[in-house]
Amino acid sequence: MDQGMKMLLTGFDLLLALTLLWLAWQLLRSTDIFKAIIFFICFGLLMSLAWVRMHAPDVALAEAAIGTGLTGPLFLAALRRIERKAGKNMMSEPAGNGEETGSRWKARNREMSPLLWTVTALTCCLAGLLIWTVLIIPRPLPGLADQVAGSLAESGVNNPVTAVLLNFRGYDTLLEVMVLLLGAITVWSITHAPFPPRVPDTSPVQKAAVRLLLPLICLIGGYLVWQGAYQTGGAFQGGAVLSAALVLLLISDFLWLPGMRSLPLRLGLTLGPLVFVLLAGFGILVEKTLLRLPVEYAGPLLLFLEAACGLSIGLTLAAFFAGGRPASDLRETPYSGEAKGKGPAES
Amino acid sequence: MTTILYSVTGLLLFVFGLFALIVCPHPLRKILGGNVMSAGIFLFLVAASYRADTGEIDAVPQAMVLTGIVVSVCITAVALVLSTRLQQAADQGARRRRKRRREEDAGE
Amino acid sequence: MAFADSWIVVPVFAPLTAALLAFLVRRASFFISLAAACLSLLAVAVLVNRFLVNGPAAYAVGGWDPPLGICLRTDGPALIMLVLTAVAGVGISLYAKGYFTLRIERPSRVGRPERQERFFWPLWMLQLTGLNGLYLSGDIFNLYVTLEVIGVSAAALAALSGKSASLIAALRYLLVSLLGSMSYLLGVVFVYKTYGVLDLGLLQAAAAPAPGVIAAMALMSVGLLLKTAIFPMHFWLPPAHANALAPVSAILSGLVVKGSFFLLFRLWFDIFSPVLPAAAFNLMGSLGAGAIIWGGVQVLRQQRLKLLIAYSTVSQLGYLVIAFPLAFAGGSSQAWSAVMFMASGHACAKIAMFMSAGTIMLHAGHDRIRDLAGIRAYLPVTAFAYAAAGVNLIGLPPSGGFIAKWMLLITALAGHQWLWAVVLLAGSFLATAYVFRVVAQLFVIPPDKPVITRRRAGLLEWPALIMALLSLLLGLMAPYPLRLLEAGQIVRTAMTMGGGP
Repeated sequence: MDQGMKMLLTGFDLLLALTLLWLAWQLLRSTDIFKAIIFFICFGLLMSLAWVRMHAPDVALAEAAIGTGLTGPLFLAALRRIERKAGKNMMSEPAGNGEETGSRWKARNREMSPLLWTVTALTCCLAGLLIWTVLIIPRPLPGLADQVAGSLAESGVNNPVTAVLLNFRGYDTLLEVMVLLLGAITVWSITHAPFPPRVPDTSPVQKAAVRLLLPLICLIGGYLVWQGAYQTGGAFQGGAVLSAALVLLLISDFLWLPGMRSLPLRLGLTLGPLVFVLLAGFGILVEKTLLRLPVEYAGPLLLFLEAACGLSIGLTLAAFFAGGRPASDLRETPYSGEAKGKGPAES
Repeated sequence: MTTILYSVTGLLLFVFGLFALIVCPHPLRKILGGNVMSAGIFLFLVAASYRADTGEIDAVPQAMVLTGIVVSVCITAVALVLSTRLQQAADQGARRRRKRRREEDAGE
Repeated sequence: MAFADSWIVVPVFAPLTAALLAFLVRRASFFISLAAACLSLLAVAVLVNRFLVNGPAAYAVGGWDPPLGICLRTDGPALIMLVLTAVAGVGISLYAKGYFTLRIERPSRVGRPERQERFFWPLWMLQLTGLNGLYLSGDIFNLYVTLEVIGVSAAALAALSGKSASLIAALRYLLVSLLGSMSYLLGVVFVYKTYGVLDLGLLQAAAAPAPGVIAAMALMSVGLLLKTAIFPMHFWLPPAHANALAPVSAILSGLVVKGSFFLLFRLWFDIFSPVLPAAAFNLMGSLGAGAIIWGGVQVLRQQRLKLLIAYSTVSQLGYLVIAFPLAFAGGSSQAWSAVMFMASGHACAKIAMFMSAGTIMLHAGHDRIRDLAGIRAYLPVTAFAYAAAGVNLIGLPPSGGFIAKWMLLITALAGHQWLWAVVLLAGSFLATAYVFRVVAQLFVIPPDKPVITRRRAGLLEWPALIMALLSLLLGLMAPYPLRLLEAGQIVRTAMTMGGGP
């Protein structure tokens, strides 16, 4: 690589880093939460660029699909629900709402209190210390790159990241899949999926477009899962794309989740973890070691695992977006529901 | 150079997020802060193991970051649903209070 | 690797599978969970037996040895925590069954207790998975994942009650635990950057003073202290623990805070002890002293029983960190014993106390200490369980708390560290005051006490009593845990001599 190219790339890195910092600063201090969320989405997209610069395409894809593509809408949906419930836009302006709107978190006045000064000073010190430590740490050790390369042939896949994720450190990934399921169980335990008010503005065009897009998105998701074995992609990225399809359905007034029965959904949510656990047990039975895969079957087994996990991950992420368990599931009767004026027992 | 640059950026992001998580009163902002914090850590993690000179890639930190991203989405979702539910409970309380007051007024 | 080696994964995988099944097949969720809890207990018994015969075990998951793969390990302290968790797991499961049955009979809102029960079981099983995973894990990043499992499921359990106060507490709990695990994770990154490995055994062998390690240890310690609710980072604990359902309070106060503490202690004494300066240990000690005194004073000011018990957790956790400077002076083996006795005694006692408080609340309908006079008249077993657990908190013989405080005191006096000794004694006086304040209320029956018909609530009362008796009699069983610890100690020395696991 010639000198000019290097200079150009360094300049790009510098610009990217500064933009990231600026966006983060903006998103944390802009007065309007809606704006902050938009800044966050931009921030996530630029983060993906940084991952690409860092030669981490798998992470870039996951960041774009999950870290931003899904988290952003999650924030927007939550903001909308909170605002609708609070009656008006409670986020932007501090005063005037009164207690009637029930807004819990009024923005405090922005004067610098002594406490705030202390926190600011402390965080600045922390930043200084951390950066100083990074600068004095000698060149980082090679890490585990050599070990990964050495054992890649036995892992059943060619993509080193997938190999680490599903085979070498499969136990981590199993627990991580469980964290996802745990999140879904938690969300379900907290509340029902709020019925969005019958959206009159879902135009037929949007519905038709969703019908057209749906198979395409599912195809892309499936392809990502499948190609995870060879190159960039995998269960998480594929699952995230799949969840995009389900989220599209939700916001286009195809209310699949709130209206569905609970058992099939639960089956879908637990499918990935169940397959993972079965595979772990299979390792004990056949190879006498947890999660150990016979070398000759490792490839197909991992593909099967990724497909099941991708499905569950997609469903879980969509369940996060839906924000609760199905409407028919475990109702608390005298306890008034989510939407306004629905509680019969209260009147 | 690239390594140091992104490492420092990651650490600064961590500190920004930390500051927001501690200081901001609004839960959505706190959760945003948490997300920025984790993004900073991930950037630092991958940047720290990236070697610009050899172009060698360590897959372990990348896998760790993938795990971390998923976990962080999960926590974000739970926290958001909790905040929503909290607002809803507060609204119900306010509505009940308002009704009681109206009844009292009617009683007088 | 032999087939029988795989017993080590059962304490993680039994509750994990049970969580999946309990979420799927809700009708049978109690039996599934109880079966998993019993299976974990059995597996832990097998592990203890194997440990006494073969010494510490290491199990490479997937057949990939460290540094590439993840290793599960057993050693003395881990086994003690596993035994504690398994026993408490069975006890809490039984109690929870009784608790929810009674609540479903008399619901405050139709459907609410059912919802709570349906979601309690999978969340509780995931909590067990996380805790057992934490005790067994030998990989510093895998520990982060288990911390997240523990943190999210703890917040979910805390939110289960559905009341506003508990939702606020749960959200704060979740954010604090997020902050804690982020801090820990950044520490892990520094460790990886410095040493290039994640396995605890390899780190122990490699630990040498380096600029990154101090930063890493500081970050990880702050994160774990936050999760353990050590003064002055305890602010989130009392509301979260006091507003949760009774079985959940028992889980949170008895087991969850011990998980992060265990990891903290392991990092300080097993892995990075050579690289830490003495001042750091003294700093930890002063945090502990602050917790004991400040927490103890706060306990005395509480008017509600559950808040009182929650604040007493803040105070008692101080004893765990005050062991740091003492252990630094007196050698790590003594410290492990004292801390293990303290942790397990406190866990059993606190579980019993929260169980009793829950039973009292179910029967009396409130937990205002002022109005609880004469509970013994119709809940004798529960009142006795509360008192027996209180004995452990004060630290009277033959409780586990006594052994722990005795060891700490001896070490403090032997090392002429008078200040710590004074704090230890002052903590005991405060504990005496707050335990007797409640016990006096429970046991003295006022003459005009209305007679309340006794309900049949065996599952509510007996698990509490058994947990309380365990904490009370832990001192008499002291030789067994000590044997486990000493067996581990010998091997640890051998490991350090040999330079690797």
